Formats: sequence, structure tokens, C-alpha cells
Amino acid sequence: MPETFRAPGNTSQKVATMQTVQTSLKLSIIGFSLAMSAFFAASKLAPAHAATANTAKRASAPVTITVDTTKPVSEITVPAGGWSFRNHVIPVLTRLGCNSGACHGAAAGKGGFKLTLRGYDPEADFAVLTRQALGRRVNPVEPARSLVLLKPTMAIGHGGGKRMEPGSLEYKVLSEWIAGGATPPSEGDARVMRLDVSPKATTLAAGAEQSLKVLAHYTDGHAEDVTRWVKYSVADASIAAVGEDGNVKMIGHGETAVSIWYQSQVSFARVANPFPHKINPEVFASSPRHNFVDALVLKKLQTLQLAPSAQASDREFIRRAFLDATGTLPTPREIERFLADGAPGKRAKLIDELLARAEFADYWANRWSDVFLVSSYKLGETAMWSFYNWIRDSVAANKPWNQLAREIITANGNTLENGAANYYVMHKEVTDLTENVSMAFLGMSITCARCHNHPLEKWTQKQYYQMANLFARVGMKNGTRAGDVQVYTNPAGEVNHPRLNKPLPPAPLDGTPLTLDAAQDRRAHLADWLTSPDNPYFARALVNRVWKNFMGRGLVEAVDDMRATNPPSNEELLTALTNDFTARNFDVKHLIRTIMNSAAYQRSSKPNEFNQPDEKFYARYLLKRLPAEVLLDAITQVTGVDTEFPGYPAGTRAVQLPDARVNSYFLSIFGRPPRVTTCECERSAEPSVPQALHVINGDTINQKLRAPNSVVDALVKLGASDETVIQHVYTAALSRPASPAELRQLQTMLQETSASNAVNARRQAIEDLIWAVLTSKEFMFNH
Amino acid sequence: MLRFDAERAVRFCDGLRRRDFLHAGALSMLGLSLPDFLALKARGAVNSEKEMNCIFLMLVGGPSQLDTWDMKPNAPAEIRGPYKPIKTNAPGVEISEIFPRTAQHADKFAIVRSLYHTAAAVHDTGHQMMQTGRLFQAGVEHPHIGCVLSKLRGPRGDAPPHVLLPRPIGNTGGNMPHGQSAGFLGKQFDPFVLNADPSMPNFKVPDMLPPDYLSSVRVDRRRKLREMVDASVKEFDISADARLLDDNFHQAYTLMSSAKMREAFDLTKESEAVKDRYGRNRFGLSCLLARRLVERGVRFVTINMFETVFNEITWDIHGSAPFSPLACYRDQVGPMFDHGYASLLEDLHQRGLLQNTLVVATGEFGRTPKINPAGGRDHWPQCWSMLFAGGGVKGGQIVGASDEIGAYPKDRPTTPGEVTATIMRSLGISLETELPGLQGRPIPAVEHGVNPISELF
Repeated sequence: MPETFRAPGNTSQKVATMQTVQTSLKLSIIGFSLAMSAFFAASKLAPAHAATANTAKRASAPVTITVDTTKPVSEITVPAGGWSFRNHVIPVLTRLGCNSGACHGAAAGKGGFKLTLRGYDPEADFAVLTRQALGRRVNPVEPARSLVLLKPTMAIGHGGGKRMEPGSLEYKVLSEWIAGGATPPSEGDARVMRLDVSPKATTLAAGAEQSLKVLAHYTDGHAEDVTRWVKYSVADASIAAVGEDGNVKMIGHGETAVSIWYQSQVSFARVANPFPHKINPEVFASSPRHNFVDALVLKKLQTLQLAPSAQASDREFIRRAFLDATGTLPTPREIERFLADGAPGKRAKLIDELLARAEFADYWANRWSDVFLVSSYKLGETAMWSFYNWIRDSVAANKPWNQLAREIITANGNTLENGAANYYVMHKEVTDLTENVSMAFLGMSITCARCHNHPLEKWTQKQYYQMANLFARVGMKNGTRAGDVQVYTNPAGEVNHPRLNKPLPPAPLDGTPLTLDAAQDRRAHLADWLTSPDNPYFARALVNRVWKNFMGRGLVEAVDDMRATNPPSNEELLTALTNDFTARNFDVKHLIRTIMNSAAYQRSSKPNEFNQPDEKFYARYLLKRLPAEVLLDAITQVTGVDTEFPGYPAGTRAVQLPDARVNSYFLSIFGRPPRVTTCECERSAEPSVPQALHVINGDTINQKLRAPNSVVDALVKLGASDETVIQHVYTAALSRPASPAELRQLQTMLQETSASNAVNARRQAIEDLIWAVLTSKEFMFNH
Repeated sequence: MLRFDAERAVRFCDGLRRRDFLHAGALSMLGLSLPDFLALKARGAVNSEKEMNCIFLMLVGGPSQLDTWDMKPNAPAEIRGPYKPIKTNAPGVEISEIFPRTAQHADKFAIVRSLYHTAAAVHDTGHQMMQTGRLFQAGVEHPHIGCVLSKLRGPRGDAPPHVLLPRPIGNTGGNMPHGQSAGFLGKQFDPFVLNADPSMPNFKVPDMLPPDYLSSVRVDRRRKLREMVDASVKEFDISADARLLDDNFHQAYTLMSSAKMREAFDLTKESEAVKDRYGRNRFGLSCLLARRLVERGVRFVTINMFETVFNEITWDIHGSAPFSPLACYRDQVGPMFDHGYASLLEDLHQRGLLQNTLVVATGEFGRTPKINPAGGRDHWPQCWSMLFAGGGVKGGQIVGASDEIGAYPKDRPTTPGEVTATIMRSLGISLETELPGLQGRPIPAVEHGVNPISELF
């Protein structure tokens, strides 16, 4: 559809040509005379181009331009070579919203005028602006009559309304660029290399404001203040708000990041408002420090004035450590032994023991199977087992994370023999591989860049297809046995960039590209980049995933949303952990040991007066509901009655299941991930009414309590006293004895019910007690 | 003891009758004393007939405007698609031939043909915007409009205020929230999720009643014991999830002790003929269940027509696997909607419930005007159509219009926020309502300046 000239009212006549320009523009360096001369040059030429009666008529009207000086304007100077299409015109169009998804940046454009989303393809935008619509959009002969000036100023009708004032800097850039001959973008244009935001970090009281300033540094060495054209967004809207001019206003207490995006470059600033307590520095100085984690956590807590909670007791610690590291509860005997140990290093010793257990391998194989989507959804039964066993063996052998990644990325051969090769059976499309590798190993979603440059990140569509081309030569053919596939590397094959319709040199995101004719194995090249100690994303993503498992919240949250514009709550800590992990040759157990031995991990979950609002700086251990599989296994463990999973041998624990599709109502309503897409968000630990109904009325707990071989049975047959019953149940489920008060209360209850006339009164009394313990918050949460 | 219900007695093995459990337990389990209950009733929270309800049909996948409610018979073949328009019982209103029964009720509903949204063309964003009125930004999850109602009005008696049938929307490819929770209001205002397929044989709400071997006395005793055990961890209340767990137990006990709710969910109470009329599938019987729930005091019912768009026949007709072909509109999806929707309108109308029940039907976006090489249509948030019936809406009319090929709104462009405002107006919620946001900051229930689609009323 062509653009239409509608409503040619007074305004349009005013702006159509210029006789006089009245302005009170207060820009320090604006090249004002240059602007004047450009406008006059245009108006002098006007009669020659008066092609239609319509425009000729308008050309005679005098023009007054009023400049909006109410908004602060950053200093943007006309560069020596004139305004650049790539570096000024596109940012202006982006800032005005012209190329946003809501307007001309929509996949189908708007009103017949289509720009690339946020200017990711300047060459295409240039062609659209200068060559389409009979050249009326950009009129170098008569700049003021260009549609790109008339429409957004509403000089003539514009569906998108008024986007700029005539005389604004944006107007000036567009008009002067046109007057200067509408220079096209070229390969030789300087590119934005890096953004500097100032202040980088600042502390503000509630209600206080701070203007951010952003400098763009270009490849040719010059820098420009682009504050005015940057896109700002705030990570946590409850802490601060940011305007489109970069003005930050503090709203609440805590710390958040303000991210900035400009020309596919990103950066961020941090704004903090300490909590309104004055905490004695001695509190932080005397808080225990077990390793480097603690100094960095305490530093952050002190900045924000959050007092750390006390250390957890040995009982609290052993339950927590068992659940977090192995997904099992400690038995009463294990607890007893641990408590009896008087050695000073006993927590460290326990951690080492836990890391050596088979249950540790089961639990972490389950976690990594979530990440790699192991299930019978895309793999046959045998192939699924082959992949699962490969993962579990890798965990059991503590295979360095870089080696594990390399083995998956470069996997070849028979999928039943090399379990890792199943990765390629599950992800057959190159786009799927590109996105899943980013998600699983880098915690990054680059899906947006499949169709256009990522709107929040630096990833471009070119980088996406360069990465995709690394997978162009994966070959597969059916093997000799059922479920067996041969994965191999083809000698040739390319993936085309869909818009450029040609293959691009294969490159792993921002890594070095290979030439198209390079003989090197492309997947090996990817693995080299991925697992290099210098890769800024790979180790960090894994560290963050593991940290979250223990600490309840990722340093970057969500753990699948790693990006420069979503900075960690404690950058120094994440960097230190990552460096340590890399220096220790990607040793996952070492990382786990570091976290578990820290005083931060060993803090009590009980809040104190000065850390109640904290949910992200680790002033206390954060409560977390047990994951579905762990909760079910814990119920099994306490009741002593196995859960039956169809097709699996008796005694199989939920956490040992290789397949996310094993039928279990309990697991599905308690939030087991379906393993369809790699995302921590697939797993849910949120309580819900159906869960409550299930534990009250459903089969899972009720049938275990009724089963003939349950713990209830044993306690009845033993003729255990009320006190023995209560203390056994408490220790087995909650890893602690009942307090004297609890004991008294529960004893009364047990006596009354056991004495009733009902059949099996004693048994029912014990069942009910155990039910109450298994559904309590203290049991269902790790704390 | 006060009785909420008195229908049937079931024998328990311990000699008690279930009725006894349900009656005797009801009030104490609710944690309500008789004066509390009367106070609630006086305040109008219990049993106020006049209050408005809403049934929200989320047509997951995104129906094509051109093949449903905005036909373009004069457009070229690659635009107009395979289906023909038919006349309806409302003069001047034509819809697709795939909805013959719906066409007989056009006097009851209004079509808005000028919906659009401007976020990314993925399912998830549309789900968010249609159910909450907004796109989620800066970590703020806005509440589903049904959850807003839950927060503002609370339950009517023992009926959960907002029920989601049959299951939540799962993965639709974008890894984003779908706007089907209470978001920043807190999870205690999340909908009650059925989590079962009403078209399955022996359908029932999972675990709604204690098994036969558990007497009412024991259920009550267990509840008290549980509170005793948890008395030592009061400090857990600092965690929203821990508070939620207790709240869920409370809601579960409320539901269990309500004969009315048990009956509401009991589809065996409906004749085979009625079930046939609604369609014996997940969507049709969810519509029937929605009618039963609204009749018994549920304020808001959300029905997700599908849970995902992968490997399932849905409105998401890209034309090639794992998505659906265009022909499925005639063969499966169209009839499924036609039977469920028409029957729902018929029944609500016949029972006099339509006037105080707003029925909304919408997808998350429209579809590309031009048929793609696979014979399907792709995502198109620039223009689509939706239906409003009941709840004060004037039926038999068309609001807004698209251009000649259904590509863009030509007349009265309408945003998701306006849809939310429209639902609020119908439900009698003031547009000025502010909700408690994060750190106590008030968040307007709809953006300032966003108004209902006034032409509908």
C-alpha cells in the first residue's frame, strides 16, 4: 500500500518549506549554522523540483519552527564527514520507534513501509528509504519535503502520530543527512565497539534521581555521547525506574541493574539503595569466613546493610547437605554418627563423603538429564538409556565439564555405544542445535537472532547463522540395530543465511570464524571455543547453575537468561567462582565443595531482624521446596515403602529414572520438568492446591502408610512406646528429635487416639502422625 | 451444626457416613465460626446472585481471522482460503461455514474484528497480553484478569473464585510466562487448576475426596497434627512459597468439605445427550463443566482449548508438522469449538445466566493473510477477531473492521489492554482499581487511558 498524503492542514504548509527559522535551541555544540545552510540550500532548490501543483502551492507559505527545548539534550556533534546513515540515521529511527516491532519494524512493515527491526540491516533500510515509494521518503533535492521528515512531525498525516519536533536534534540529523546527499552506509563505516556508561555504579536514596550518560566508542577511535538515543531498561522495577532519557529514579531498597542497548552493543549500570538499618561493622568483620566465597558475600551484604544470619546447627546442616548434594535424607544412624564426631573439620569431611556417594551421581545425572533433555520423547528406550548412562558415568567419574561438553559437541559413531552422540539424534535441525548448545552450555537464549538481531543482546542474525554453519556437516544414518544411529562428519555441506542466501564463515558466536574452505572439523572448532578457559560464558553458566542448586537462587537469575544486560547480583563473586572453577580444570566436584564449605551455604535459614527483606544476596539460607523426585524419594525413605514405576525394577528411586515420561501423577503435579526445551523454568517447585489435595486424599502417601511392610507396621509390631514412635519419625523425616513441648503434645494425641475403640486404633494413630510430619512445611522444604 | 449441603450419605468403613464428615467438618475446616459466616453473608461475599461472572475461552494456537470470523470472500484465493462464509441469525453478520451451530447464536455474541498486538509474534506474548492486558517487562508478571477478580472479590461461599480447565498452557515455544497466574498479586490468588481431562472415562477432580479408608475424624485429626508439627517453624512464613503451602492446604480442605463443589465437578449428573451436544472432547466437556461451575458460584472460569501447539491438532495451522494443517479447521478444531461454544451460549441463555456471565473467546493472535507454501498460515499479531457474549454485551453486532485482506485493522484498532478493560467493565471492576505491586507499589489494574470497547455494551 502506498503512503497517502492526508490532512494537508496548516501544519504541513508551515513545515513544507522554510523562509525563516526561529529557535531558542540551547545545544552547546549543535552546528547550528550548518543546519541553517542546509535548510536554505533546500529551499533555494525548491522551485526546480515543484513537480506537482500540490507541492508548488505549499512552497510559498512562510514557515516557523518552534524547537522543543524542554528536554535535556546530550551533546551530539556533526562529525567531520557529515551524519552517517549507519551511526546516526539508524539510531535516530530506532530512538523515535520507527523501526520498532510495533511500527515499521514489524515483519510486514506498516503502511507499506518496512524497516528492519531496530535497524539490524542498514543496507536494506537505506534501499527502502531512498529507492522505494518513488523516492519520496528521502528527497535530497528538497530535504524538507522528504516523507521521513513530514510524517513523523505530523506535517502530513502519520498513523504513528507525532514522533519528533521539527528542529529537534533528531530532525536535524535526518534533514542534514538528506541535504548532505543521503550518503549510503558502507563497509568502511566506523562501528560501535563498546559502550561506557557513567556512573557505572551508584548509591541513591529512595526518591533520588540520577542521570546516566552513555559514550559509544567506535572502531575508528572516536567516541560520541549517545545518551539520548540509547534504549534503557531496568531489571527489577520494584527497586528503580528509568526514563527513556536515561534518568534513573530510585523506588525501593536493594540493588538493580539498568541495562542499556545501542546499535547491538550492550552494557549496564548498577544502582543501589542500602536497606535502612545501621549495622555495626563488627557484625560483618566477625562473621565466619571459610573460603573466598564468604569475603565476597559479606562485602555485598555490608554494602546493602543486610546482617547475615547465624550459622546453621549440625542437625540443620546434615539434612540440608544430604538433600542438596545427593537428593536423599540422612538416616538416623548417619545423623548420630555425624553429631558424635567431635573433630573440627567434620562438615568438610561429610561433604567429601557425600560427593563420593552413588546417590550423588544419581542426583546430578538427573539434573544434567534435565539440561540435555533425556527422555523417550525423541529417543527410543535403548538410545535413551545409552545417553543417560553416559551422563551418569560422566558424573560418577567427575568428568571435567569442558571435557563433557567437548564429547557431546564432537560426538561421532554409534549412538548405542557412544551415548553422547544421541544429542544429534535429538536435535536434528541446525537451528535447534545452535539454540540448544547456547542454552545448555552457555545459559543463553539466542533464539531471537534466528530472525533478526537480538533486541536485548549483542547477538546478530549473522552471528546466529555463522554458528549454525558449524553444524552443517553433521551426518546421520541408521545403524544395524533398533535405535542405533551412526553419527559422522560429512566432508562438505553449508547452511545458508536466509536473508543473504549464502553461507557465512562458520563461527561460534563471537569467536574466530573458520574460512568456508577450511579443512578443519567445524564441531571441533566450536568445542575449542566453547571449552577454552578464556570463554567468558561457558564456565560462568555452569557455575551459576550449580550455585543455584545449593543457594536457592542463581547469582544470575534466571539461570537460563545469562546475558550482559542481566548482570549477576554479585559480579565479583561469580567471577571469582568462575575463575577458580576454570583454574581447577572445570572440576564440578571442586566447585560444589567450595560452595558447600562456605559459611554462606552453612548459614541458618532463620532470618534476623536485619535481613528479612533479602531474597538475593544470601544473608540467610533460602528455603526451597524439595524437587518433585527428591520429595517422593524422601517419602519413600521415611515410610520404608518403595514407589513402583512401571517398567523399572523395584527399589528404583524417582531421582534415578532416566526418562521424564515415566507415568507418575505425583511427579507431574509436583513439578517434574517434561524435558521438552532446555530451561530451568520447566521445573517448578511451587506449591499448588492439587498437590495439597493429593497428599491429603491421594494414593501416594496414604497407600505407603497403609502398606503391610511400612515403617508403621514395624513400629506397631515392635510395640514401640509413644516417645519412641515420635522420636523415630522426627529424626527420620526432620533429622531432629521432637522438642519436649512437641513430645508432650504429640504424646497426648497419640494416647487419646490409640485408646479409641476403632479397629487398628494404634496403627491409625501412628499413620496419622507420620502423615502430619510428611506433609509439614519442615519436611517439604529444605531449610 | 450448620449444614451447607444435604444430599447423600456414603458409608464409611468406620461407621461414620461421609455426609457426616462433610457436614460436621465443613465450618470448622473452613476455619469459620458461625458469626464469621454470617458476617460474610452480610457483606455480600456469600451467595450474591447479582454479581457478574466470566468464562474466558483461550483458543490456544491462534485462530485464523480469515477462516473463522472475518471472511474475505472477494479476496484472491491465496488470501480467502478454502472456506466460505455463511449467514447467521443476526442480519448482516456472516461467519465461516465451519461454525454452523455458532451461526445460529450470532444474536448473542458480538465480533470484534480489529484486534492487534505489537509484541513479538510468538504464542507466549499473546497469551500474556490477552489474559493480563499487558506485556511483561522489567520482571513484573501481571495477574490474569480472573486472578484480579479473585483478589478483589474473594470466593463466593466455598466455590474457588477462579478455576482453570483443564490444564495450564504448557510449552508453546517462547519459554515465557503465559499470563495464567496471579503474578505479582501472589500465588494464593492463582486459579484452581483441574489437572484432569473431563473427556476421560471416569473423570473426576483428582483427589477431591478422601479415600474410603480415611474417616472424617482422621482427616480432621491429621489436619490438627500437621498444624502442631509446623508450629515450630513459624519463621518459615518469610518465604512466600511456605505461606502458599499452608494456603493451599486451607483451600483443599474447603473444597473437600463442599458438597456443592463436588456436585459442580460431577459430570455424571449431565445426560449423555447434553454431553453429545457439547462434544465429547476436552474442550466441549470443559465448556459444560464451566457452565456447571458458574451455576454453583465460581466467578471466573478459564478454559485452555489446547495445552501446547506441538504435535497436536490446534488452531496453529502452519501447514506442516509438528503443527496443524488448514483442513483441521473443518475436520476437528472448528467443530470442536462450534459445539462447545454454541452449547455454552444456548445453556447459559436458557438458564438466564448469560446476562450476568460474560463469555470471551480469543486466540493469542491472528494468522498471515496469505497462505504459505505449506498450505497453512503463520503467526500474525497485526490483526485478528474475537468474540464477546453475555455479561451486558449487545449481541448480533460487529465492532471494528480489518482491511480488504484481513491484514490490518481498518476501523477501530483494538488492543489487548482494551479487552481486559472490557472484561473489567462487564464484571463491574472500576478502571481506577489499583493493585498492590512489588514492595507495595500500587499498579493500576489497566494502564491509565485504556478504555473498554464501549460499542459492545
